[in-house]
Amino acid sequence: MKVILEKVAKPEEEGAHIRAVELTEEVRNAVDLLENNCRSISVSRVGEEKSPGESYMLGTNRIYYTESIDKRTYVYTKEECFETRYRLYELEDILGVNFLRVSKSLVVNMRKIRSVKTELNGRMTAELLNGEKIVISRSYVKDLKRKLGV
Amino acid sequence: MKQIKLIFSQTLMISTAILFGLGIQAFWNAMFHGDARIVWEWYVPFTIIFTGFLCSVPSLIFLEEGETKKSAFPVKIVLHFLVLLGVVSLCGRLFGWYSTWEAYLWILLMYVVIYFFVWAATFWLMKKDENKINKALEELRDEE
Repeated sequence: MKVILEKVAKPEEEGAHIRAVELTEEVRNAVDLLENNCRSISVSRVGEEKSPGESYMLGTNRIYYTESIDKRTYVYTKEECFETRYRLYELEDILGVNFLRVSKSLVVNMRKIRSVKTELNGRMTAELLNGEKIVISRSYVKDLKRKLGV
Repeated sequence: MKQIKLIFSQTLMISTAILFGLGIQAFWNAMFHGDARIVWEWYVPFTIIFTGFLCSVPSLIFLEEGETKKSAFPVKIVLHFLVLLGVVSLCGRLFGWYSTWEAYLWILLMYVVIYFFVWAATFWLMKKDENKINKALEELRDEE
């Protein structure tokens, strides 16, 4: 797709005009990114993945964490659970800098962590903003520290 | 590679802890028995490193992260403590670190102090990390 970038003087003059033959996922992602300052991924409600037309675009800023269970990937928001066709390693790339793998099967949105607590066994427990608790494996604590710059 | 690194660092840490313990013992002897010299056979430093290495292997088996339940952790720690005690006792006997019951009790005391000191120090370091991470998360966190 050809992209034209034009400099303007004032923030009010900023805008984007997308011309596309079809509203593909990539185009929708671009729109989301421009409108909401975040990306979106295609998800379906749990148990509905195979029925066509039932997928939703979920903004990454709504995602608390994603988890892989029995080769299926689930996406959790504050109160809901969705399923996505993406694998966890793909989501690591798609979701952006605020997301971090904290165990073999879980990627968390660091912006949704209220606090972390050390356990005697060397693991950490993270309490999320919705009160849920997830485990940060010992081997991933180093990644968390590196990403946070501590 | 990760496991080799763990064994290497554990060997260094345990060997240092044994030397530290021996230092305290020598200090005690110098202060209260007037015996200010340590006399070692040529092989003793090697036996310390070898014991450090042997003690690092159970750490790898018992404390490696797996799908263990949280409640199983105290059992693992007790087993780890006992296996290491067995290794230290056996090595001490084989390498002639002690020959009397009194000397063995010294080794036991030293072992217990070092074991709990290492745990306490590790936990303290982890708590420091926890505070740093929580502080960094504060700046990043979304509004509730």
